[in-house]
Amino acid sequence: MAGSLLDEVREVARGWRWTRRPLVPRSAERWQEDHEPHEFPTSWARTAAAKAVREGILRFGFRPLVWNETEPAVEGVDNLESVRPPVIFVANHASHVDTPLFLCSLPKTWRERTAVAAAADYFFDVWWRAATTALVFNTFPIERSGGKRATLTARRLLEEGWNLLVFPEGTRSKDGWVGRWRHGAARLATEHGVPLIPVAIRGTYAAMPRGRSWPRKGRMPVSVRFGRALWPGDGEDFGSVSRRVQQELARLWDEDATNWYASLRRDAEGRTPSLAGPQAAGWRRMWASSRPLPRRGRGKVWR
Amino acid sequence: MARPGFVLEVDERTPPLLVHEGEGFRVQKFPLGSRVIYPPDSLPGIKDVTGAIRQALLNPSNSEPLTELMKPGMRLTIAFDDISIPLPPMQTPDIRGRIIEQVLEVAARRGVDDVKLVVANSLHRRMTASEIKRAVGERVFRSFWPNDLANHDAEDPAALAYVGQTDRGEDVEVNRRAAESDLLVYVNVNLVAMDGGHKSVPVGLGSYKSLRHHHTVHTMLNSRSYMDPTHSALHDSCARMGRLLASNGLRIFTIETTLNNETFPKPFGFMNKREWEWSLADQGTYLAAKRANDKSPPRIRREVFQRIASPYGVTGIHAGETEAVHAQTMVNVHRQQLVEVDGQSDVMVVGLPYICPYNVNSIMNPILVQCLGLGYFFNLYRNKPVVRPGGAMILFHPVPWEFHQVHHPSYVDFFEEVLSETNDPAQIEAKFEQQYATDPWYIHLYRNSYAYHGVHPFYMWYWGAHAMDYLGDVIFVGADRKAVRRMGFRTASNFADALEMAEETVGRSPRITYLHAPPLALAEVR
Repeated sequence: MAGSLLDEVREVARGWRWTRRPLVPRSAERWQEDHEPHEFPTSWARTAAAKAVREGILRFGFRPLVWNETEPAVEGVDNLESVRPPVIFVANHASHVDTPLFLCSLPKTWRERTAVAAAADYFFDVWWRAATTALVFNTFPIERSGGKRATLTARRLLEEGWNLLVFPEGTRSKDGWVGRWRHGAARLATEHGVPLIPVAIRGTYAAMPRGRSWPRKGRMPVSVRFGRALWPGDGEDFGSVSRRVQQELARLWDEDATNWYASLRRDAEGRTPSLAGPQAAGWRRMWASSRPLPRRGRGKVWR
Repeated sequence: MARPGFVLEVDERTPPLLVHEGEGFRVQKFPLGSRVIYPPDSLPGIKDVTGAIRQALLNPSNSEPLTELMKPGMRLTIAFDDISIPLPPMQTPDIRGRIIEQVLEVAARRGVDDVKLVVANSLHRRMTASEIKRAVGERVFRSFWPNDLANHDAEDPAALAYVGQTDRGEDVEVNRRAAESDLLVYVNVNLVAMDGGHKSVPVGLGSYKSLRHHHTVHTMLNSRSYMDPTHSALHDSCARMGRLLASNGLRIFTIETTLNNETFPKPFGFMNKREWEWSLADQGTYLAAKRANDKSPPRIRREVFQRIASPYGVTGIHAGETEAVHAQTMVNVHRQQLVEVDGQSDVMVVGLPYICPYNVNSIMNPILVQCLGLGYFFNLYRNKPVVRPGGAMILFHPVPWEFHQVHHPSYVDFFEEVLSETNDPAQIEAKFEQQYATDPWYIHLYRNSYAYHGVHPFYMWYWGAHAMDYLGDVIFVGADRKAVRRMGFRTASNFADALEMAEETVGRSPRITYLHAPPLALAEVR
């Protein structure tokens, strides 16, 4: 006998895990089709109405929140003055706080034309997560496994004049240092003739590493440092472009940790610290990366 | 590349599974560890069906091309499968019509004037004019109906020809026009492994005199199963009859077709899919369809279901000598339906859909439900049944006490008179079959109305004889208690109760296997 509609909806919602990631029965995993996944539509998130809502959420929700829970320092925004959209921002990635921190660090005119590449299998696995991130951060799905369709939307967005934020590591760092670096962003830039802007994000691993859903107490210092636009050279292959971006990002880290001139000197001497961190035991690497950034500003007057 | 069929083991990740229950459906949680047999994915259909038909006619197996078999002045008969297959009926144009058109084009080119078309309806009800038109297409229908296109009449002595006896003493009597033709072209749709081959002509165009030799309790008990013609006494008998026809000079040009598993059209497309692959839209459609269906009056519900036409793709078209053709057909059927299953289980679960071969545009009465469950679904195996000897079978179906008065008049009496006395197929066969088979009123209704033959409910009961003999318990979930009790089975109000009832037969920790069909799967049990 038929139950109530609510019972039936509940049964389906529970059975198909509406609020969670859908799962495949173990014995069926080997029979799963290797098909091109259906892409969650995100074009609605780039309409004027969605942009207005997003701006409100970022400006009046995330900015006060992030700026209240951490102590951000934003540098190098002036580098954006010398370029015009579309560009591809390339940043290291260690925390969920990176995206809101980055977007809120951008000037409004840039922010409202910037879309964020997000892992299709993580952010677009269930409809509510996909819709929320698309609305709030203007995300679009990107297949981490690569393949023909992996960057279809990214290409379309570049053609439409959107800036992209890409985290070439494809995932948040496990130990705070930069992990495997993928070349997709450099390839896009090479093929579309757009510049890459490296962005060094520091301190977010210490503030809110993997596994945390809220920043640590004590307003940990974090920093966002924009680098200069790097244009792919004529006939330059994307691998070479990608290496240049990594190198510049490493220099930006160094600049953020020391100062501009010192970082230039070390770069010239080939002594820029590696983004991959020290070659040491795991705990030491994590120990180093989880050390909070020194606080900036004047410091205490009374000692 | 279509994925093969496989056996799922239910774990905590498994969503509830779709279960058909007559003119309804539900999703049902199965106990952890239960096995579920899924058919292979639907195979891609042939894109150029017209071209494939032409190729089959030009390059037949073990036969000259059709063009060479036709000559002016000859008698040509084209027989074709009736409305009992495929299920659900396929979307138009029906493959039978497409093939018949090409056969007729060859005949027209070769100057054949004497052409008759016969529906091979055997002892089934006659097809109505509109049903025939749907099957053969408007062009064929307009050219031949009603004089040269008709239903086979298995009770018209003038229209039957006695061919002789097989070496086992089986009488062979078939449609006279077919038997006396220079060429009989048989157009088949092979939905399951039971269909086609020598079963087409001796059964489809046969009479009670012929059918009584193989539609018996004995052959059913000796067919393991009748979905495996190589181990089926039923098919052995049909083959002997078919060979007798050939040895008597009847030239049969067989054209067999196979279909893929695209059983349900939109919006019921979710029924073709594996549940964990249902998209949000599929889940929404399921909820909406179920709600609308449950809330609809039974009449509307039936109307909606009976209007379903399957978007089947054609996976194979083969023509030529019957046995050579059928061997290729069986390969195609197995390619689409065969699933390897490791070992038997204690309990077999099936969800019976709204349709079986004998209730197209009609009502599935309790005897047909029994036939579908204990006959067709139980026999969807090769080697060994899915369930162990003495195991239990749980069937989902409401089994309404309801009969189509025009189509199934003898079923009403069979249910009231015969089953109230005994459920034993052998006793029924011995005591009642002859009386029903020769009853003048049933014969009159079969010939002049749209009734199934008087003996047909007996055959439906025999169809389940192997399962009745083999199983320890048969439990219907959510069924009409009186109707189920009349048939000698038991009823449970829900699946949990059914499993608890089955404990009496199979113990407390039974191994459960759910045959997830339709789309159809044929279990190869090792």
